[in-house]
This record gives sequence, structure tokens and C-alpha cells, in this order.
Amino acid sequence: MSTPEDIASLRILKETEPLREAWERYTKCNETLDDTRALLDDPDETMRSMASEEYNSVQEEVEELVTDTLPALLIPPSPTGNLGALIELKAGVGGAESCLFVVDLLRMYQRFLENSDYKYTMVSTNEIEQGGIRDALMEVSAPGAYDLLRWESGVHRVQRVPHTEASGRVHTSTVAVIVLPLVTEQEAQSQQLYRMEDVRIEVMRARGAGGQHVNKTESAVRLTHVPSGITVSMQDERSQHQNRRRAFQVLQARLMDQKVVRDMADKRAAKNNLVSGVDRSDKIRTYNYAQERVTDHRIGLSLMNLSSVLEGDGLGNFLTALQKNYRESLMEQMLQGN
Amino acid sequence: MPLLRRLTSLLGPSQAARELQWIKKHALQARLSVEDLVDRRMRDEPLQYILGTQPFGPLDIRVRAPVLIPRPETEHWTIKLSEAVSPTPAKPFRLLDIGTGTGCIPLLLCHLWPKGSVSACGVDVSDDALTLSRENAKAHGFERGPVDLELRNTFQAVRANILDPAFTTSVDPPYDVVTSNPPYIPFHEYLDLPRSVSRFEDPKALFGGPMDGLDFYPAIVKVLTQDGFMNRNGIVALEIGHQQGEDVHKILKQTGKFKEISIWNDPWGKQRTVFAKM
Ligand SMILES: C[S@@+](CC[C@H](N)C(=O)[O-])C[C@H]1O[C@@H](n2cnc3c(N)ncnc32)[C@H](O)[C@@H]1O
Repeated sequence: MSTPEDIASLRILKETEPLREAWERYTKCNETLDDTRALLDDPDETMRSMASEEYNSVQEEVEELVTDTLPALLIPPSPTGNLGALIELKAGVGGAESCLFVVDLLRMYQRFLENSDYKYTMVSTNEIEQGGIRDALMEVSAPGAYDLLRWESGVHRVQRVPHTEASGRVHTSTVAVIVLPLVTEQEAQSQQLYRMEDVRIEVMRARGAGGQHVNKTESAVRLTHVPSGITVSMQDERSQHQNRRRAFQVLQARLMDQKVVRDMADKRAAKNNLVSGVDRSDKIRTYNYAQERVTDHRIGLSLMNLSSVLEGDGLGNFLTALQKNYRESLMEQMLQGN
Repeated sequence: MPLLRRLTSLLGPSQAARELQWIKKHALQARLSVEDLVDRRMRDEPLQYILGTQPFGPLDIRVRAPVLIPRPETEHWTIKLSEAVSPTPAKPFRLLDIGTGTGCIPLLLCHLWPKGSVSACGVDVSDDALTLSRENAKAHGFERGPVDLELRNTFQAVRANILDPAFTTSVDPPYDVVTSNPPYIPFHEYLDLPRSVSRFEDPKALFGGPMDGLDFYPAIVKVLTQDGFMNRNGIVALEIGHQQGEDVHKILKQTGKFKEISIWNDPWGKQRTVFAKM
């Protein structure tokens, strides 16, 4: 990405003061490099070593300009940078074994969040009788959580011998993870994510005569956002009121998610494979127990320490690499003049 | 038998899974045995009594047998009422809640309305209810102090019998708002109540009279249409049973003292609240 042709196209970008300064420094450095290069073969040894010293230090500066200073000036602050996150996990292919893997992934995220001092709350978990969780939803409300975790969205695949498998045969199962941007009520309103009259609120199940006649807890609520067809059901809280609040929170997050994806597509960022991984049916990562290996297919990164990833420590390496990859791809797009 | 399977036989699979989660969480916090709590549930004890609380709007209301457990229908109309009319510290409301039980209705209004805009009185004939509603007021910071210096909403519990002709002397009119969820279950329906209701909740909180369960409404309406009982533009909100809308509407209308009478549905589509303006 740092070829002179690419850098040249920086000129297309709007000039800002700090940017121009950095650009001028960059041009200057290149000139110095050109001048010094001739002296690298100078017959005089002292001259040669001085030139080589100068050349190396200027080259270092160029490196820094290209990898840190310019990108930082060019990449606009993330529009989602202050948002919290909702993490949704759903068992996929593989039945009960997939539900067991939901438990493992959930623990991975919980450990990771605890280690990095992020508070989380479990909004809902749907346990199955044999042990295992069919689906789970957790809230990480701290600003920045969404940008940190967003690239976890996609299909996570596990290859291992299930506890229940007597023959010792390796099974492949999947879990879908979706990370949604958490918006507050006010943000949802100011972003005009939805109109109240477009949301149908239903209570689930019949209650017979209701009122004093019934004291069974019937708190389940379902919201339908008619224009988008998004439905959200919430039943983990003990009151209607709480479930309704939660359901609106999830609906707002879903709508915000659609908006983020739309905005990204508008910016044609979809060329990037990471961003196009927004297609949530794509398999993004494989956890291979026999080989103690975790591979992220989008960036081709493998870590040979599966236990450390599942204990939350290793996950940070993936998150950092994914974040870096994203920034680089943003840079590339800018350089292509988009 | 595993706990989930036992509960499933009583409640069906999805309700059982949810209740077990709530029970487990409570057992952990209160250091009780999950098995014991499930045993109680299997004997039809309401979940709310086992857990000791019921969320009501954003409030956690303490519940204890035999005081009636707050219902979601009541939660729904109370929130709606809080939006339909709103007092201000400059124009505060005096509120009377008849048959206050846990105190849930006035306490939620105290919570939802601006600070210093309501002083509420809840009356009941049951000592259990009076004690519990005072506990709830205290838990949420609405108990009336000897002198209230800061701006806040307050709740007071008073023993009074709405069917007693001398009722008015036990309370302190005039009021701006009267709310009530009086007992409204008629005798023939009383016999068909689920056991968790009829065996655990106070019959005096449920039984509204032998014929149509409407004994309380004429008594309430008689009191609040007495001269000087309500302030100008008084508001009344009365919860009703699933088939009592027309009858209660008529009881109010006959007095000729209400400018506007409407019936609100609950979230399940049943007529649930008669709302009237004087
Ligand atoms: C259906 S419960 C309503 C409790 C509470 N307001 C609620 O909505 O959850 C009716 C209440 O009225 C009280 N009650 C019954 N007869 C009464 C009477 N004659 N005068 C005053 N209160 C009475 C009962 O003790 C009970 O607490």
C-alpha cells in the first residue's frame, strides 16, 4: 500500500493543514532519500557511512509517516466509535453439540470482557435440558464496545469430538454470532431509526379472563417493525414493562445495524472482504480442538493456542489483527480515490 | 426427577424453563435451596410469593401472601394513567387509592410523576396489606416523614373500609385523583379460579360480591361524588373484570357528575379500566 503511485493519489484528498504538513514532510523525505542514495556508493568511506546513516533514519521517518501519521490523519473518526454492543449467539448446525459450543463461546467473551474491564449483563439465555444454550444475548454498554467486537459477527465453526460421541469421531458444528450496535433511546430518535407508529407491540399467549383471575407470569412481548419486517421477542424478564424495554433496545440495535451496513455499502467499503463478511452466513473462524488451532479465515490468521483463545486472552490477538486489517482496508480505499 | 421436568409437567416447557431460571437466580442470591423452591411451586404457590417480589413498571414491589400480587394489566393502565394526566410541583395532586394491597398503584405513580407533585394515600381493610404497602413505600423512599423539607412524593397507608358509610371520616378529602382496583370476581367465577390464586391470595382481595362481582363500584362512586370529596377536574381510574365494562360505565354515567367516561383495553384486548373526568 505504500507504493509511490498510491501515495500520489493522496493529492485527490481534501487538503487539511496537518495533512499538508505531513505530506510536505513526506515529499521532503523522499527528496532527501533521492539525494542521499547517490552518496551511498561514494568512494569515500566516511561519506558512505554518513550517507547510509542518514538514509536509514529518513527511511524510518517515511515508514512512520506512511504507516501511522498519514493513516491517522486520513481515516475519519468511526461514526460508531461511542456505541456499546449487544452480542447475540445462536446455535447453528450440530444440534446439542452446537449448544455446548455456545456455552464455550459465551465464556470466551465473558472472560475477555472481564480481563479488559468491560462490564456486561446477560440479557437472556435459553438453556436446553441436556446442558448447553440454544441462544443467548449479552449487553456490553460501555462506549467503544461495538467497534471493538463488531468483527466477531459471522459463523464460528468448531471441529472436535463431542462429549456424547462414543466412537471418537470428530464433528463439525457452528454457532452464529451477531454483534449489534447498542443505541440509547435518544440516539434512536435523533437518528430517526423508526417511527413509533410503525412498531406493532404484541403480548404473547392468551390470558383467559386476565386481571385478578390470573397470577401466572405472562410477560413475553413481541415487537414487529412493519417496514423492515424485523421482529423481536423478549421473555426473559419477569414483567411486560421490562421485556418491552429490552425488546425495544434490541429492535433499535437491529435497525442501527442495518443503517451501519447501508452506510458502509454506500461508501463502497463492501469491496473489502472483512466488511463484506457482514454477510452473516459466512464462516469466519474455525476452532479445531485436535490441532489446538484457531483460524480466522478473513485475515488468514491462525493461533496455535486454542485454550488461550477460549479463555479470553488469545481473542484479543484476533480483535487487534482484525482492527488493523480494517484500518488498512479503509486506507486502501482512500488511496484508490473513493 | 430433574427440576425442569417437574416444572414442565405443571407449566409447559417454555414457561418452566423461564421460571426455573428465575428461581435459580433467587435461590443463589437468597441462599435458599432450589429444590425447596421448586417443591413450593409444584404445590401451586405463585412464583411471585416464592421470589418475594414482582416488578411493577421499573419498581420491584415486595409481595407476601395473602396480599394480592400486582398484575401486568394493572401495571399497564397505571403507566397509561401516569401519561394521561401529569401533576407538577406547582400544581400537585392529592391521590387516593382504594384497596391499595401492596401499594403498587400509588407507588408507581409516585415514581413516575415529577418529584414533589403528588401526595398519595392508600387505604385498605387488611392489616397485611397496610403493613406491606408501608414496607414498599419505605423501600422506594416514599414514606411520609414527620417534616418533609425536600421536594418529594409521599405515600401514606390508612385503614379504612370503603363499604362503611363513615368511610369519608377516615380519609382526608378533597382529592384530585382516585384510583382503585377493587375486588371484582363474581361468585360463579370464583369457584373456577386457578389454585395458585384461590389458595394463596386473600379472598377479600378478590371476591366482588355474590351476583355480578360489582358490589364495590357503587360504593366507590357514591363516596367520590359526595360534595367536596373531589377537587375540580377530578380524575378517576377503576380497574374492572373482563366483562364489567358496560356495567361500571353505567354506574358512573348515572350520577351525571362525569364530563367524560372512557374504557381502556389491556394489552390482551380485554376491557380493563374505566377512566373518567369530573
Ligand atoms: C384486587 S386487590 C388490589 C390490590 C392492589 N391495589 C393491586 O392493584 O394490586 C383489592 C384490595 O382491596 C382491599 N379491600 C377489600 N375490601 C375492602 C374494603 N371494604 N375497603 C377497603 N379495601 C378493601 C383488599 O384487602 C385488597 O388489598
